Amino acid sequence: MSKQFLAALFALLTLAPLSAQTPLRVAAAADLEPVLPPLLVQFEKNSGIHAEASYQASATLTTQIENGAPFDVFLSADLSFPKRLIDAGLADAAGSADSSTPITYARGTLVLWERKDSNLPPPSLDLLRSPALKRLAIANPDRAPYGRAAVAALHRLDLYDALKPRLVTAENIAQAAQFVDSANADAGLISLTSALTPRLSADGSYFVIPRDLYPPIEQGAVIVSNTKQRAAAHKLLDFLLSPAVQAELAKSGLTPVK
Amino acid sequence: MDWQAFVLSLRLATVTTAILLAIAVPLAALIVLGRGRWLAAVEALATLPMVLPPTVLGFFLLVLLGPRTAFGRGIAAMLGHPLAFSFDGLVVGSVIYSLPFAVQPLVAGFASVDTALVDAARLLGAGPVRLVSSILLPLARRSLLAAVVLSFLHTIGEFGVVLMLGGDIPGATRTLSIVLYDQVENFDYAAAGHTALLLLGLSALALAAVYATSQKRGRAGSA
Repeated sequence: MSKQFLAALFALLTLAPLSAQTPLRVAAAADLEPVLPPLLVQFEKNSGIHAEASYQASATLTTQIENGAPFDVFLSADLSFPKRLIDAGLADAAGSADSSTPITYARGTLVLWERKDSNLPPPSLDLLRSPALKRLAIANPDRAPYGRAAVAALHRLDLYDALKPRLVTAENIAQAAQFVDSANADAGLISLTSALTPRLSADGSYFVIPRDLYPPIEQGAVIVSNTKQRAAAHKLLDFLLSPAVQAELAKSGLTPVK
Repeated sequence: MDWQAFVLSLRLATVTTAILLAIAVPLAALIVLGRGRWLAAVEALATLPMVLPPTVLGFFLLVLLGPRTAFGRGIAAMLGHPLAFSFDGLVVGSVIYSLPFAVQPLVAGFASVDTALVDAARLLGAGPVRLVSSILLPLARRSLLAAVVLSFLHTIGEFGVVLMLGGDIPGATRTLSIVLYDQVENFDYAAAGHTALLLLGLSALALAAVYATSQKRGRAGSA
Protein backbone atom coordinates (compact mmCIF):
# COMPACT_ATOMS: atom_id res chain seq x y z
CA MET A 1 0.00 0.00 0.00
CA SER A 2 1.57 3.29 -1.03
CA LYS A 3 1.90 6.29 1.24
CA GLN A 4 -0.20 8.35 -1.15
CA PHE A 5 -2.98 5.82 -0.92
CA LEU A 6 -2.93 5.91 2.89
CA ALA A 7 -2.90 9.71 2.86
CA ALA A 8 -5.88 9.77 0.50
CA LEU A 9 -7.73 7.29 2.67
CA PHE A 10 -7.00 9.36 5.77
CA ALA A 11 -8.22 12.53 4.06
CA LEU A 12 -11.36 10.74 2.92
CA LEU A 13 -12.13 9.57 6.42
CA THR A 14 -11.39 12.82 8.21
CA LEU A 15 -12.84 15.44 5.88
CA ALA A 16 -16.46 16.29 6.52
CA PRO A 17 -18.75 15.21 3.71
CA LEU A 18 -20.03 18.03 1.54
CA SER A 19 -23.55 18.52 2.74
CA ALA A 20 -26.37 19.34 0.40
CA GLN A 21 -29.33 21.44 1.49
CA THR A 22 -30.04 21.25 5.24
CA PRO A 23 -32.79 18.71 5.90
CA LEU A 24 -35.73 19.32 8.20
CA ARG A 25 -34.58 17.73 11.44
CA VAL A 26 -37.27 15.84 13.33
CA ALA A 27 -36.84 14.73 16.94
CA ALA A 28 -39.17 11.75 17.15
CA ALA A 29 -40.27 9.62 20.10
CA ALA A 30 -38.99 6.05 20.01
CA ASP A 31 -42.47 4.59 19.50
CA LEU A 32 -42.59 6.30 16.09
CA GLU A 33 -39.61 4.36 14.76
CA PRO A 34 -41.74 1.66 13.11
CA VAL A 35 -44.24 4.27 11.83
CA LEU A 36 -42.52 7.42 10.67
CA PRO A 37 -39.87 6.42 8.06
CA PRO A 38 -42.31 5.57 5.23
CA LEU A 39 -44.34 8.68 6.05
CA LEU A 40 -41.26 10.89 5.71
CA VAL A 41 -40.53 9.36 2.30
CA GLN A 42 -44.09 10.17 1.26
CA PHE A 43 -43.73 13.69 2.69
CA GLU A 44 -40.64 14.30 0.58
CA LYS A 45 -42.50 13.10 -2.52
CA ASN A 46 -45.43 15.42 -1.82
CA SER A 47 -43.58 18.54 -0.69
CA GLY A 48 -40.02 18.19 -1.94
CA ILE A 49 -38.83 18.71 1.63
CA HIS A 50 -36.28 16.20 2.85
CA ALA A 51 -36.81 15.39 6.53
CA GLU A 52 -34.51 13.36 8.73
CA ALA A 53 -35.67 11.87 12.03
CA SER A 54 -33.71 11.01 15.17
CA TYR A 55 -35.45 8.47 17.37
CA GLN A 56 -34.92 8.66 21.11
CA ALA A 57 -36.90 8.56 24.32
CA SER A 58 -39.02 11.72 24.54
CA ALA A 59 -37.21 12.71 27.76
CA THR A 60 -33.81 12.46 26.08
CA LEU A 61 -34.97 14.52 23.11
CA THR A 62 -36.37 17.15 25.49
CA THR A 63 -33.01 17.43 27.27
CA GLN A 64 -31.25 17.71 23.92
CA ILE A 65 -33.55 20.47 22.70
CA GLU A 66 -33.16 22.30 26.03
CA ASN A 67 -29.44 22.24 25.38
CA GLY A 68 -29.64 23.58 21.86
CA ALA A 69 -29.89 20.47 19.68
CA PRO A 70 -30.57 21.62 16.11
CA PHE A 71 -34.02 20.11 15.70
CA ASP A 72 -36.88 21.85 13.87
CA VAL A 73 -39.84 19.71 14.95
CA PHE A 74 -40.39 17.58 18.05
CA LEU A 75 -42.85 14.69 17.88
CA SER A 76 -43.20 13.50 21.45
CA ALA A 77 -44.90 10.38 22.78
CA ASP A 78 -46.85 12.47 25.27
CA LEU A 79 -47.91 16.05 26.00
CA SER A 80 -45.81 16.75 29.11
CA PHE A 81 -42.41 16.91 27.38
CA PRO A 82 -43.43 19.31 24.59
CA LYS A 83 -45.35 21.34 27.20
CA ARG A 84 -42.16 21.57 29.23
CA LEU A 85 -40.36 23.05 26.20
CA ILE A 86 -43.21 25.50 25.53
CA ASP A 87 -43.12 26.67 29.16
CA ALA A 88 -39.37 27.22 28.86
CA GLY A 89 -39.97 29.34 25.74
CA LEU A 90 -38.05 26.91 23.55
CA ALA A 91 -40.92 25.57 21.47
CA ASP A 92 -44.37 26.61 20.31
CA ALA A 93 -47.42 25.42 18.50
CA ALA A 94 -47.80 28.64 16.50
CA GLY A 95 -50.46 28.39 13.83
CA SER A 96 -52.77 26.18 15.87
CA ALA A 97 -55.74 27.43 17.91
CA ASP A 98 -53.72 27.66 21.11
CA SER A 99 -50.03 28.24 20.56
CA SER A 100 -49.13 27.25 24.12
CA THR A 101 -50.60 23.74 23.89
CA PRO A 102 -48.81 21.02 21.95
CA ILE A 103 -50.63 19.76 18.85
CA THR A 104 -51.99 16.27 19.48
CA TYR A 105 -51.25 14.27 16.34
CA ALA A 106 -52.16 10.76 17.56
CA ARG A 107 -53.13 8.69 20.57
CA GLY A 108 -51.27 5.63 21.77
CA THR A 109 -52.81 2.27 22.66
CA LEU A 110 -51.58 0.09 25.50
CA VAL A 111 -51.64 -3.67 24.95
CA LEU A 112 -50.72 -6.75 26.95
CA TRP A 113 -48.38 -8.81 24.81
CA GLU A 114 -47.29 -12.42 25.24
CA ARG A 115 -45.32 -14.91 23.17
CA LYS A 116 -47.39 -17.51 21.34
CA ASP A 117 -45.27 -20.37 22.77
CA SER A 118 -45.88 -19.24 26.37
CA ASN A 119 -47.26 -21.84 28.79
CA LEU A 120 -49.46 -19.23 30.45
CA PRO A 121 -53.04 -18.43 29.43
CA PRO A 122 -53.42 -16.13 26.39
CA PRO A 123 -53.20 -12.37 27.03
CA SER A 124 -56.23 -10.97 28.87
CA LEU A 125 -56.92 -9.18 32.13
CA ASP A 126 -57.08 -12.65 33.73
CA LEU A 127 -53.45 -13.22 32.76
CA LEU A 128 -52.55 -10.16 34.86
CA ARG A 129 -54.38 -11.75 37.81
CA SER A 130 -52.70 -15.15 37.34
CA PRO A 131 -50.15 -16.10 40.03
CA ALA A 132 -48.29 -18.01 37.30
CA LEU A 133 -47.28 -14.65 35.81
CA LYS A 134 -43.80 -14.30 37.33
CA ARG A 135 -42.36 -11.40 35.35
CA LEU A 136 -44.32 -8.55 33.78
CA ALA A 137 -42.34 -6.05 31.70
CA ILE A 138 -43.32 -2.38 31.64
CA ALA A 139 -41.55 0.76 30.45
CA ASN A 140 -40.15 3.19 33.00
CA PRO A 141 -43.25 4.87 34.49
CA ASP A 142 -41.30 7.98 35.52
CA ARG A 143 -40.88 9.11 31.95
CA ALA A 144 -42.14 6.63 29.34
CA PRO A 145 -45.80 7.50 28.58
CA TYR A 146 -46.69 3.84 28.04
CA GLY A 147 -45.05 2.96 31.35
CA ARG A 148 -47.14 5.65 33.05
CA ALA A 149 -50.28 4.23 31.40
CA ALA A 150 -49.33 0.68 32.43
CA VAL A 151 -48.97 1.64 36.10
CA ALA A 152 -52.24 3.62 35.98
CA ALA A 153 -54.06 0.61 34.52
CA LEU A 154 -52.60 -1.75 37.13
CA HIS A 155 -53.74 0.65 39.88
CA ARG A 156 -57.24 0.82 38.39
CA LEU A 157 -57.36 -2.99 38.35
CA ASP A 158 -56.17 -3.08 42.00
CA LEU A 159 -53.30 -5.25 40.85
CA TYR A 160 -50.39 -2.87 41.30
CA ASP A 161 -49.42 -3.91 44.83
CA ALA A 162 -49.70 -7.60 44.01
CA LEU A 163 -47.67 -7.25 40.81
CA LYS A 164 -45.09 -4.72 42.00
CA PRO A 165 -42.48 -7.32 43.07
CA ARG A 166 -42.94 -9.06 39.72
CA LEU A 167 -42.47 -5.98 37.53
CA VAL A 168 -39.34 -5.57 35.44
CA THR A 169 -38.82 -2.03 34.24
CA ALA A 170 -37.35 -1.30 30.83
CA GLU A 171 -35.78 1.97 29.78
CA ASN A 172 -38.34 2.43 26.99
CA ILE A 173 -41.25 0.66 25.38
CA ALA A 174 -39.13 -1.06 22.70
CA GLN A 175 -36.90 -2.57 25.37
CA ALA A 176 -39.96 -3.75 27.34
CA ALA A 177 -41.00 -5.60 24.18
CA GLN A 178 -37.50 -7.15 23.93
CA PHE A 179 -37.76 -8.42 27.52
CA VAL A 180 -40.87 -10.38 26.57
CA ASP A 181 -39.89 -11.36 23.03
CA SER A 182 -36.66 -12.91 24.38
CA ALA A 183 -38.93 -14.84 26.83
CA ASN A 184 -37.13 -13.41 29.86
CA ALA A 185 -40.41 -11.83 30.99
CA ASP A 186 -43.70 -13.74 30.73
CA ALA A 187 -45.72 -10.85 29.38
CA GLY A 188 -45.44 -7.11 28.87
CA LEU A 189 -47.54 -3.98 28.76
CA ILE A 190 -46.29 -2.42 25.54
CA SER A 191 -47.46 -0.15 22.73
CA LEU A 192 -49.72 -1.35 19.96
CA THR A 193 -47.16 0.12 17.51
CA SER A 194 -44.58 -2.38 18.83
CA ALA A 195 -47.06 -5.28 18.88
CA LEU A 196 -47.91 -4.65 15.21
CA THR A 197 -44.30 -4.77 13.96
CA PRO A 198 -43.67 -7.83 11.75
CA ARG A 199 -41.33 -9.39 14.31
CA LEU A 200 -43.69 -9.16 17.28
CA SER A 201 -46.85 -10.03 15.37
CA ALA A 202 -45.09 -13.21 14.20
CA ASP A 203 -43.91 -14.13 17.71
CA GLY A 204 -46.91 -13.34 19.85
CA SER A 205 -50.40 -12.06 20.38
CA TYR A 206 -51.83 -9.05 22.18
CA PHE A 207 -54.84 -7.93 24.16
CA VAL A 208 -55.91 -4.28 24.00
CA ILE A 209 -56.10 -2.88 27.52
CA PRO A 210 -59.55 -1.23 27.90
CA ARG A 211 -59.12 2.50 27.35
CA ASP A 212 -61.05 3.50 30.45
CA LEU A 213 -58.30 1.96 32.60
CA TYR A 214 -55.65 4.61 31.85
CA PRO A 215 -55.52 8.29 30.95
CA PRO A 216 -55.22 8.74 27.16
CA ILE A 217 -51.66 8.56 25.80
CA GLU A 218 -51.82 11.75 23.76
CA GLN A 219 -48.82 12.31 21.51
CA GLY A 220 -47.99 15.98 21.08
CA ALA A 221 -45.98 17.86 18.46
CA VAL A 222 -44.28 21.25 18.75
CA ILE A 223 -42.08 23.41 16.57
CA VAL A 224 -38.70 24.25 18.05
CA SER A 225 -38.82 28.04 18.34
CA ASN A 226 -35.44 28.95 16.91
CA THR A 227 -35.91 26.84 13.77
CA LYS A 228 -34.87 28.40 10.49
CA GLN A 229 -37.37 26.25 8.61
CA ARG A 230 -40.66 27.19 10.20
CA ALA A 231 -42.65 26.93 6.96
CA ALA A 232 -41.33 23.43 6.26
CA ALA A 233 -42.02 22.44 9.89
CA HIS A 234 -45.64 23.59 9.53
CA LYS A 235 -45.97 21.61 6.31
CA LEU A 236 -44.83 18.46 8.11
CA LEU A 237 -47.36 18.95 10.92
CA ASP A 238 -50.17 19.61 8.41
CA PHE A 239 -49.11 16.48 6.56
CA LEU A 240 -49.26 14.40 9.76
CA LEU A 241 -52.76 15.70 10.48
CA SER A 242 -54.04 15.12 6.93
CA PRO A 243 -56.79 12.45 6.63
CA ALA A 244 -54.65 10.12 4.48
CA VAL A 245 -51.76 10.09 6.93
CA GLN A 246 -54.06 9.79 9.93
CA ALA A 247 -55.54 6.67 8.32
CA GLU A 248 -51.98 5.41 7.82
CA LEU A 249 -51.24 5.96 11.53
CA ALA A 250 -54.26 3.85 12.46
CA LYS A 251 -52.80 0.91 10.52
CA SER A 252 -49.56 1.19 12.50
CA GLY A 253 -51.22 1.11 15.90
CA LEU A 254 -51.79 4.79 16.65
CA THR A 255 -55.31 6.13 17.06
CA PRO A 256 -56.06 9.05 14.70
CA VAL A 257 -57.11 12.32 16.30
CA LYS A 258 -59.06 13.51 13.27
CA MET B 1 -28.51 9.38 47.59
CA ASP B 2 -29.72 5.85 47.01
CA TRP B 3 -27.54 3.88 49.46
CA GLN B 4 -29.11 0.57 48.49
CA ALA B 5 -27.96 1.13 44.90
CA PHE B 6 -24.56 2.32 46.12
CA VAL B 7 -24.02 -0.88 48.15
CA LEU B 8 -25.30 -2.98 45.25
CA SER B 9 -22.82 -1.36 42.86
CA LEU B 10 -19.94 -1.98 45.29
CA ARG B 11 -21.01 -5.59 45.73
CA LEU B 12 -21.31 -6.13 41.99
CA ALA B 13 -17.89 -4.57 41.35
CA THR B 14 -16.23 -6.62 44.12
CA VAL B 15 -17.69 -9.95 43.01
CA THR B 16 -16.97 -9.18 39.34
CA THR B 17 -13.36 -8.16 40.05
CA ALA B 18 -12.71 -11.32 42.09
CA ILE B 19 -14.09 -13.55 39.34
CA LEU B 20 -12.24 -11.59 36.66
CA LEU B 21 -8.90 -12.04 38.43
CA ALA B 22 -9.47 -15.78 38.72
CA ILE B 23 -10.09 -15.87 34.96
CA ALA B 24 -7.71 -13.18 33.72
CA VAL B 25 -4.48 -14.20 35.53
CA PRO B 26 -4.36 -17.72 34.04
CA LEU B 27 -5.60 -16.41 30.69
CA ALA B 28 -2.93 -13.68 30.51
CA ALA B 29 -0.24 -16.19 31.59
CA LEU B 30 -1.38 -18.57 28.85
CA ILE B 31 -1.26 -15.80 26.25
CA VAL B 32 2.26 -14.69 27.29
CA LEU B 33 3.88 -18.05 28.14
CA GLY B 34 2.12 -20.27 25.65
CA ARG B 35 3.17 -21.14 22.13
CA GLY B 36 0.99 -21.34 19.07
CA ARG B 37 -0.94 -19.12 16.75
CA TRP B 38 -4.29 -19.92 18.32
CA LEU B 39 -3.21 -17.80 21.30
CA ALA B 40 -3.58 -14.71 19.13
CA ALA B 41 -7.18 -15.76 18.58
CA VAL B 42 -7.65 -16.19 22.33
CA GLU B 43 -6.28 -12.71 23.00
CA ALA B 44 -8.45 -11.23 20.25
CA LEU B 45 -11.52 -12.96 21.69
CA ALA B 46 -10.75 -11.68 25.19
CA THR B 47 -10.53 -8.12 23.85
CA LEU B 48 -13.65 -8.28 21.70
CA PRO B 49 -16.25 -7.22 24.32
CA MET B 50 -14.86 -3.67 23.94
CA VAL B 51 -16.10 -3.47 20.37
CA LEU B 52 -19.80 -4.05 20.94
CA PRO B 53 -21.97 -1.20 22.21
CA PRO B 54 -22.79 -2.22 25.81
CA THR B 55 -26.55 -2.21 25.26
CA VAL B 56 -26.10 -4.51 22.27
CA LEU B 57 -23.88 -6.83 24.30
CA GLY B 58 -26.58 -6.72 27.00
CA PHE B 59 -29.22 -7.58 24.42
CA PHE B 60 -27.23 -10.58 23.16
CA LEU B 61 -26.78 -11.78 26.74
CA LEU B 62 -30.49 -11.29 27.40
CA VAL B 63 -31.24 -13.61 24.51
CA LEU B 64 -28.41 -16.08 25.22
CA LEU B 65 -29.18 -16.37 28.95
CA GLY B 66 -32.95 -16.38 28.40
CA PRO B 67 -35.23 -19.42 28.48
CA ARG B 68 -35.31 -19.67 24.69
CA THR B 69 -31.80 -21.17 24.49
CA ALA B 70 -30.68 -24.55 25.88
CA PHE B 71 -27.81 -22.69 27.59
CA GLY B 72 -30.20 -20.30 29.33
CA ARG B 73 -32.51 -23.14 30.39
CA GLY B 74 -29.54 -25.12 31.75
CA ILE B 75 -28.37 -22.20 33.85
CA ALA B 76 -31.89 -21.51 35.10
CA ALA B 77 -32.25 -25.17 36.15
CA MET B 78 -28.89 -25.02 37.95
CA LEU B 79 -29.62 -21.80 39.82
CA GLY B 80 -33.33 -22.33 40.31
CA HIS B 81 -34.13 -19.00 38.63
CA PRO B 82 -33.49 -17.37 35.24
CA LEU B 83 -30.33 -15.26 35.04
CA ALA B 84 -31.91 -12.16 33.52
CA PHE B 85 -33.26 -9.62 36.03
CA SER B 86 -31.12 -11.05 38.85
CA PHE B 87 -27.86 -10.07 40.56
CA ASP B 88 -26.19 -13.24 39.26
CA GLY B 89 -27.14 -12.22 35.74
CA LEU B 90 -25.47 -8.84 36.22
CA VAL B 91 -22.31 -10.61 37.47
CA VAL B 92 -22.18 -12.74 34.31
CA GLY B 93 -22.74 -9.68 32.12
CA SER B 94 -20.14 -7.60 33.99
CA VAL B 95 -17.49 -10.32 33.82
CA ILE B 96 -17.83 -10.54 30.05
CA TYR B 97 -18.06 -6.78 29.62
CA SER B 98 -14.99 -5.98 31.76
CA LEU B 99 -12.84 -8.96 30.68
CA PRO B 100 -10.58 -6.87 28.38
CA PHE B 101 -9.90 -4.42 31.21
CA ALA B 102 -8.54 -7.25 33.36
CA VAL B 103 -6.73 -9.22 30.66
CA GLN B 104 -5.01 -6.41 28.76
CA PRO B 105 -2.98 -4.88 31.64
CA LEU B 106 -1.95 -8.35 32.81
CA VAL B 107 -0.80 -9.42 29.33
CA ALA B 108 1.21 -6.20 29.00
CA GLY B 109 2.68 -6.65 32.48
CA PHE B 110 3.57 -10.33 32.07
CA ALA B 111 5.09 -9.67 28.65
CA SER B 112 7.37 -6.99 30.07
CA VAL B 113 8.95 -9.41 32.54
CA ASP B 114 12.51 -10.30 31.46
CA THR B 115 12.30 -13.60 29.53
CA ALA B 116 15.70 -14.60 30.95
CA LEU B 117 14.09 -14.79 34.40
CA VAL B 118 11.23 -16.89 33.09
CA ASP B 119 13.63 -19.22 31.25
CA ALA B 120 15.85 -19.56 34.33
CA ALA B 121 12.87 -20.44 36.50
CA ARG B 122 11.75 -22.98 33.92
CA LEU B 123 15.25 -24.56 33.86
CA LEU B 124 15.13 -24.82 37.65
CA GLY B 125 11.96 -26.84 37.26
CA ALA B 126 9.24 -24.29 38.01
CA GLY B 127 5.83 -25.32 36.66
CA PRO B 128 3.35 -22.82 35.22
CA VAL B 129 1.64 -22.18 38.58
CA ARG B 130 4.96 -21.48 40.27
CA LEU B 131 6.05 -19.30 37.32
CA VAL B 132 2.97 -17.14 37.65
CA SER B 133 2.88 -16.93 41.45
CA SER B 134 6.62 -16.46 42.10
CA ILE B 135 7.89 -14.65 39.00
CA LEU B 136 5.20 -13.03 36.85
CA LEU B 137 2.77 -11.71 39.47
CA PRO B 138 5.40 -10.23 41.84
CA LEU B 139 7.26 -8.57 38.97
CA ALA B 140 4.07 -7.30 37.31
CA ARG B 141 2.54 -5.96 40.52
CA ARG B 142 1.59 -2.64 38.95
CA SER B 143 -0.19 -4.39 36.12
CA LEU B 144 -2.10 -6.55 38.57
CA LEU B 145 -3.11 -3.41 40.40
CA ALA B 146 -4.15 -1.77 37.14
CA ALA B 147 -6.24 -4.82 36.25
CA VAL B 148 -7.99 -4.73 39.63
CA VAL B 149 -8.64 -0.98 39.53
CA LEU B 150 -9.85 -0.94 35.92
CA SER B 151 -12.14 -3.97 36.38
CA PHE B 152 -13.62 -2.54 39.55
CA LEU B 153 -14.22 0.98 38.23
CA HIS B 154 -15.42 -0.23 34.85
CA THR B 155 -18.04 -2.33 36.63
CA ILE B 156 -19.09 0.54 38.91
CA GLY B 157 -19.61 2.73 35.85
CA GLU B 158 -21.19 -0.02 33.75
CA PHE B 159 -24.52 1.00 32.34
CA GLY B 160 -25.65 -0.48 29.05
CA VAL B 161 -25.37 -4.14 30.01
CA VAL B 162 -27.14 -3.53 33.33
CA LEU B 163 -29.85 -1.55 31.55
CA MET B 164 -30.59 -4.41 29.17
CA LEU B 165 -30.11 -7.34 31.52
CA GLY B 166 -31.28 -5.84 34.81
CA GLY B 167 -34.91 -4.75 34.68
CA ASP B 168 -34.28 -2.01 37.28
CA ILE B 169 -35.25 -4.02 40.38
CA PRO B 170 -34.34 -2.20 43.64
CA GLY B 171 -31.86 -4.19 45.73
CA ALA B 172 -31.23 -6.72 42.99
CA THR B 173 -30.34 -4.96 39.75
CA ARG B 174 -30.78 -1.21 40.28
CA THR B 175 -27.15 -0.09 40.37
CA LEU B 176 -25.89 3.40 41.04
CA SER B 177 -25.25 4.14 37.37
CA ILE B 178 -28.90 3.27 36.62
CA VAL B 179 -30.07 5.55 39.44
CA LEU B 180 -27.84 8.30 38.13
CA TYR B 181 -29.18 7.91 34.61
CA ASP B 182 -32.77 7.88 35.90
CA GLN B 183 -32.13 11.10 37.80
CA VAL B 184 -30.77 12.78 34.66
CA GLU B 185 -33.61 11.51 32.47
CA ASN B 186 -36.19 12.65 35.02
CA PHE B 187 -34.68 16.17 34.95
CA ASP B 188 -33.61 15.82 38.58
CA TYR B 189 -30.28 17.47 37.88
CA ALA B 190 -29.58 18.42 41.52
CA ALA B 191 -29.88 14.82 42.72
CA ALA B 192 -27.87 13.62 39.71
CA GLY B 193 -25.17 16.15 40.55
CA HIS B 194 -24.99 14.93 44.14
CA THR B 195 -24.86 11.27 43.15
CA ALA B 196 -22.20 11.87 40.52
CA LEU B 197 -20.12 14.05 42.82
CA LEU B 198 -20.20 11.48 45.61
CA LEU B 199 -19.34 8.69 43.20
CA LEU B 200 -16.43 10.67 41.73
CA GLY B 201 -15.21 11.75 45.17
CA LEU B 202 -15.27 8.27 46.66
CA SER B 203 -13.60 6.78 43.59
CA ALA B 204 -10.88 9.43 43.60
CA LEU B 205 -10.19 8.78 47.30
CA ALA B 206 -10.10 5.02 46.82
CA LEU B 207 -7.81 5.31 43.79
CA ALA B 208 -5.44 7.68 45.57
CA ALA B 209 -5.28 5.29 48.54
CA VAL B 210 -4.59 2.29 46.29
CA TYR B 211 -1.89 4.07 44.30
CA ALA B 212 -0.27 5.53 47.44
CA THR B 213 0.07 2.12 49.11
CA SER B 214 1.32 0.50 45.93
CA GLN B 215 4.00 3.18 45.49
CA LYS B 216 5.23 2.69 49.05
CA ARG B 217 5.43 -1.05 48.55
CA GLY B 218 7.14 -0.55 45.20
CA ARG B 219 9.85 1.59 46.81
CA ALA B 220 10.26 -0.79 49.74
CA GLY B 221 10.58 -3.68 47.30
CA SER B 222 13.26 -2.03 45.16
CA ALA B 223 15.28 -0.75 48.11
